Amino acid sequence: MLQMRGICKSYGSVRANWDVDFDVPGGRIVGLLGENGSGKTTLMKVLFGIIAPDAGTITINGRRIAPQSPRDAIAAGLGMIHQHFTLVDAMSVTENVMLGWDRAGYWLRPREIASLIARASQSYGLKVDPDAIVGDLPHGQRQRVEIIKTILRGAELLILDEPTSNLSPPEVAGLLDVMRRLREQGRGIVFISHKLDEVLEICDEIVVLRDGEVAGRRAASGASKSELARMMICREVATAIEKRQHDAGPAVLHVAKLSWRDEQGMERLRNISFSLHAGEILAIAGVDGNGQSELADVLAGLRRATEGGIELAGQDITDEPASKRLEAGLAYIPVDRATTSLVPAMSVADNLALRDFDQVPLARHGWLCAEAIAARAAQRIAEFDIRAAGPDAPASSLSGGNQQKIVIAREVGRRPKALIALQPTWGLDPGATRFVVEQLITMRDAGGAILYVSSSLEEVLMLADRIAVMYGGRLSKPIARDAADITEIGLMMAGAGGMSAAAGRSA
Amino acid sequence: MEYVGFMDIAAAAVRIAIPLLFAALGALVSERAGTFAVGIEGMMLAGAFGGAIAVLMTTSLLIGLVVAAASGAVVGGTVGIATAKFRADQMVTGLAVNILVLGLTSFLLRALFGGRAPVIRLATLGTWPIPFLADLPILGPILFRQPGLVYVGLLLTALLSVFLAKTRTGLMLRAVGDGPEAAFAVGADPGMVRIAATVVGGALAGLGGAVLSLQEVGTFTDGMTNGRGFIALAAIIIGRWTPFGVLSGCLLFGAVTALELRAQAWGLPLSSYVIQMLPYIAALVLLAGIGRSARMPAAIGIPFVRH
Amino acid sequence: MRAAGPNAALGEAGFTWLSLKSGLGARRDNGLFSFLLVCIAVVAALTVTGLLILAVGKSPMAAYSALVRGVFGTTARFAFALNKSTPYILAGVGVALCFRAKLINIGAEGQIAVGGIAATWIGLNLEAAPSALIIAMALAAGAAGGAAWSALAAIIWLKRHVHEVLCTLLLNFVGVLLVSEALHGEMGEPGAGFPQSALLGRSAWLPRLLPGTDLHLGFLMAVLAVIGGYLLLWRTTFGFRLRLLGASRRAATYAGIAEPRCALAVMTLAGALAGLAGAIEVLGVHYRLIEGFSAGFGFNAVAVALIASINPIGVLPAGLFFGCLEAGALAMQRELGVPSSLVFVIQGLTMVLVLCVMGLSPRGRRV
Repeated sequence: MLQMRGICKSYGSVRANWDVDFDVPGGRIVGLLGENGSGKTTLMKVLFGIIAPDAGTITINGRRIAPQSPRDAIAAGLGMIHQHFTLVDAMSVTENVMLGWDRAGYWLRPREIASLIARASQSYGLKVDPDAIVGDLPHGQRQRVEIIKTILRGAELLILDEPTSNLSPPEVAGLLDVMRRLREQGRGIVFISHKLDEVLEICDEIVVLRDGEVAGRRAASGASKSELARMMICREVATAIEKRQHDAGPAVLHVAKLSWRDEQGMERLRNISFSLHAGEILAIAGVDGNGQSELADVLAGLRRATEGGIELAGQDITDEPASKRLEAGLAYIPVDRATTSLVPAMSVADNLALRDFDQVPLARHGWLCAEAIAARAAQRIAEFDIRAAGPDAPASSLSGGNQQKIVIAREVGRRPKALIALQPTWGLDPGATRFVVEQLITMRDAGGAILYVSSSLEEVLMLADRIAVMYGGRLSKPIARDAADITEIGLMMAGAGGMSAAAGRSA
Repeated sequence: MEYVGFMDIAAAAVRIAIPLLFAALGALVSERAGTFAVGIEGMMLAGAFGGAIAVLMTTSLLIGLVVAAASGAVVGGTVGIATAKFRADQMVTGLAVNILVLGLTSFLLRALFGGRAPVIRLATLGTWPIPFLADLPILGPILFRQPGLVYVGLLLTALLSVFLAKTRTGLMLRAVGDGPEAAFAVGADPGMVRIAATVVGGALAGLGGAVLSLQEVGTFTDGMTNGRGFIALAAIIIGRWTPFGVLSGCLLFGAVTALELRAQAWGLPLSSYVIQMLPYIAALVLLAGIGRSARMPAAIGIPFVRH
Repeated sequence: MRAAGPNAALGEAGFTWLSLKSGLGARRDNGLFSFLLVCIAVVAALTVTGLLILAVGKSPMAAYSALVRGVFGTTARFAFALNKSTPYILAGVGVALCFRAKLINIGAEGQIAVGGIAATWIGLNLEAAPSALIIAMALAAGAAGGAAWSALAAIIWLKRHVHEVLCTLLLNFVGVLLVSEALHGEMGEPGAGFPQSALLGRSAWLPRLLPGTDLHLGFLMAVLAVIGGYLLLWRTTFGFRLRLLGASRRAATYAGIAEPRCALAVMTLAGALAGLAGAIEVLGVHYRLIEGFSAGFGFNAVAVALIASINPIGVLPAGLFFGCLEAGALAMQRELGVPSSLVFVIQGLTMVLVLCVMGLSPRGRRV
C-alpha cells in the first residue's frame, strides 16, 4: 500500500533521514522503532507533508504522491494521530469531528454525524460518547476521538506517533485492540514507538531506525528483544572520559518512594528511590517522555511530589520551594533555556543573579546592590569564560553555548552540594558540549554530587559513574558504569529489560 | 406601578436596547473568534457618523445603513489586521481605535458642517406597527410597535444564534476562538478567520451606531456613543457569550436606562445612579460566581502563531 | 555599571526628545531602538494629520505652530500644559509597571474617580485644619481610595479567576457612577446647575510651584512618581520580580517568585497612583468634585504607558506629549479654527502605529 523509497532529509550537517526505504502493506501493522534522534519523527513528517524531503519518493497504492501539506496527505488517504492532540476542548466530540469536514455539509447535521460516530465506535471498539465535551474526557478517550476523526475522513493508512505514552495500562490494551480491528478491515498502520513489549505484541513487521538510517528489518514473530535493542542503540561503546577514580562519598541526596501525578491523574513518577553520593555522577538514561523532566522538576522544587520524600544533606526538603532548595545547596539546570533557566531579554548579569537576586549580598532591604551584581557577573564571566559583549548585554545576543555557560556558571558557581542537570548539552555544538562536560567533571572531582539526566546514551556512557534507566515513570536500580551491559541498558530503555517485571504491566 | 407605566418602560427598554444590541452582537462575533472587542465603541461611533452623513447627502436610509456598516467594517478590519497579522495587543489596539475614531469623526464633523450636523428626520424611522401582532395584549405594544430597525435587531439575534450553532462556518469561527490549533490542523487559517470576524463585527457595530444616530437621536454629535460600546462588552459578559444571552443583557441595560429616567417620578428609594450601577455589579458577581469565566472563548486574547 | 538615567531625564520637559534619548539610550541599543520607532510613529501620525488639515483648506505648518505656541507661547500656557499632563504621567507610571508584569490594568478611570471622591470628602470635612494637613490627608485618601479600588479588581481576578481586564473594566463604570451618586447625594452642592460638590476651602487647594502661574504641586509629584517608578523597576528586588514575571512565568517560578502576591502589589500600587491623580485633579485643578472629571484619563494612561515603551522614564515625555497636545489643541482651534479633536487623531494613530511595530512584547526591548 505505502512505499517510501530513498528518503533523505538533512538539516545542515545533521542527517535526519538517510536513504530510508519504508513499506507498509495493506492490512499489516509495521512498527517503527528507534530512540530519540533516530529519525522516526522526521520520516513521518515527510510522509504527512509537514516537511519536504531532499530526495526520495512516496507511492500509495501505486500512485506517486508528493504531499505539500497535511491536507494533501489526508486527501491521499493518510491519517496521523500526533502525540499532542488538536482538538477543541470546549466543544463536543461530534463538533470536533465535524470541524472542517466537507461531508458534514454547510448546515450541520450533528445527529447524522453522531450516528456515524456511534457506528464507527461500535465497529472498532472505540467507545466514545458523541455528545461528551472533549475537555472533560481523559487522555485515552481523546485519543479515540482523534482516531475516529481520522477514520471517518477515509484514512486507509494510519500513523500513530508514540500513542501509548500517556495511556494507563488498560487504555493501552484497549488501543491495541482497536489497532487489531483496523488491521482486519484492511487498513495499514505505522506504529511509532520505543517500547519493545508493545511493538512485539502488536506489529507484524518491525523496522529499526538508528541515527537516520535503517538499522534492520525483522518480522515480529521471529525477532528477539535483545537483537532489536542492539539494533536500536548499537554503536562503538563510547570510551569513558578520563576521570579521577575515587570512592564516592557519603549520600548527599536521598530520594524515597517519590511519586507524582499530573493534572489528569496519570502517574508520571512511580515510587522512585535512589541515593546520590558526593563526588559521583549518577546518570539517568532513557527515551524522552518517560518522566525524566518531571523527576527533575520535582527534585528541584518546580513541582510538588504527591508522595515520597527528598532529603538533602540530612535536611528534609520535600515541601520546600525551589529557591529554598537552592539555598540548601541543590542546584538545577533545566533543559529549556528559552523559557526556564534563562530570560533571553534580560542581561547576562541579571541572569547570573536570577535565583538569588533578593538575598544578601545581591540585595539589601529590597534594594538591589548594583556593585555586588556587577562583581559577581565579572567574576563568573571570567571564571567560566562566557563570551559576551559585556555584563549588560542581553542574554539573547549570546550563542547557545555561551547561554548555557551562564546557566552553569550560575548553578555550579555557588558550589552546590548537589546538581541536577537535565539534558545540559542539548542544542550545543561540540566545543560547548565539551565545556559543559568539563565543568561537571570538575565539580564531581571537587566532591559535588551530580544527577545527570539525558536521552543520549552516548553521553550517559561517557560521563557516568553509575547508571540507572528511566522507563514509564520508574527508575531502575543504579549500577556501576563498569558493570553495565549495553544491551541490557538498551532493553531497559525499551521497557523490556529487568524493569518490565517492576513495571507491573497487566497486559 | 401602573399597567400603562410598565408597558411604557418595557417598550422603551426594547427601543433603547437595540443600538446596544447591534454593537454587542458585533462584539460577540469578534470575541467568539478570539479577538477582544474593546474597539467596538469606535466601530459604533464610526457607523453613527458614516450613516448620518450618508443620509444627509443622499436622503436614502438604505445607503445610510450600508455606509454605516462599511465604516464600522473598516475600523474592525484595522483592529483585525493589527492584532492578527502584526500581533499587536488586542486590548490596547481597541483602545487606540476608540481614540482615533473619536478624533476623526469629531474633526470631520467640524470640517464638513462647521460644528453642528443638521438634524435628520426620516419618515421611515417612525414606528412600524406590525399588523395583527401589534394588537396582542402586553406583547403587542412592547415588541411589535417599534421602529423598523428594532425588528431587524431582534431578527439578527436569532440569525446569529442559528449561524453560530448550526452552520459549518459558525463552527469554524467558534473553533478559532476556542482552539485555533485544532482549526489550523484541519486546514483553516485562524488569522484570516479572526480578521473576517472583526470586519463583520465592525459592520454590525456600525449598524448599531446608525440606529443610534438615525433612529434614536436624529443627528450626529461628538462622541455620541458615550460608552455604549463598553456597555455592550458588559452585556456580552452577562449574556455569557451567546446571542440570546447578549439580547437579555442589552434588554437589562435598556430597562435600567428606561427605569432610571422615570425613577424620579415614582420616588423609588434607590437613587438612579445606584440603579445604573446594578448591571455592572451583577455582571461582576456573576463572573465571580462562575469562577473561571467558564464561557469566555478559551483562546481569546492569545494571538495564533504558526509553528 | 548602570547609567545615570533619571538625572539626565529630569529637568527637560515638553517636546524635548533629548531627555528621552539620554534616559532610554542608556538602556542599551534596545531602548534607543524603541524610542526611534516611537518617534517615527509620531512623525507618521503628524504627517497623516497634516494631510487632513490640508484637506480642510488650512495650512498644517500654521496649525502645528499654533499648537506649539499654545503650549510654549507664554509661561501661563506652559503651566497649563504641565498641569494637564500630570494625571497622564501619574496614572501612566502605574499602568506601565503593571504592563511590565504582563498585567493589563484599564481601570485607571474608576480609580481616579474613587480617588477624587476620597480627596473631596477629606477636603470638605477637615476645613478647619491647617492647610498642609488637609492637603496631605486628602492626597493620601485619594491614593488609598484608588489603591483599594484597584485591589478589589485584583482580588476578584486572583481569587475567582475572572480575567483582570473584565474586572477593571466593570469597576470603571461603577467608580464613575459612584461620583455621580455622591454628587447627587451628600456631597452635591444644592442649587448648582451642574452636578458638582461645594467649592473646597482655600486651605485645601494645592500650592503653586511657580508663583503667578497655575502650575501646581501635582506636577512635582508626577515627576517624583516617574523617578520612583524607574528606581522601583530597575533598582529594587520588587522591580526585578515584575520584570521577570513579564518575561517568563516558568522562569519566575524557577526563581521562586510568588506570582499572586506580586500581581496584587503592583495593581494596588497602580491604583494608588491613579487615585493620587484623581485627588490632584480635585485639589489642584477644579477645587471641587465635578461629574465626569475622570473621563478619558484611564484609557489615555494606557496609551501613554504604551508609547513610553512601558518604561517609567519614558512616561514623562509620553505624558507630556499627550498633555501638551491637548493643551495646545485648544489654542490651535481658537486661532485657526482647526478642530481640537484632531489631537485625538494624532494620539490614536500614534498608538496604532506603535502597536503594530512593537506591541507589548519585549521584542527588542530591554527587560
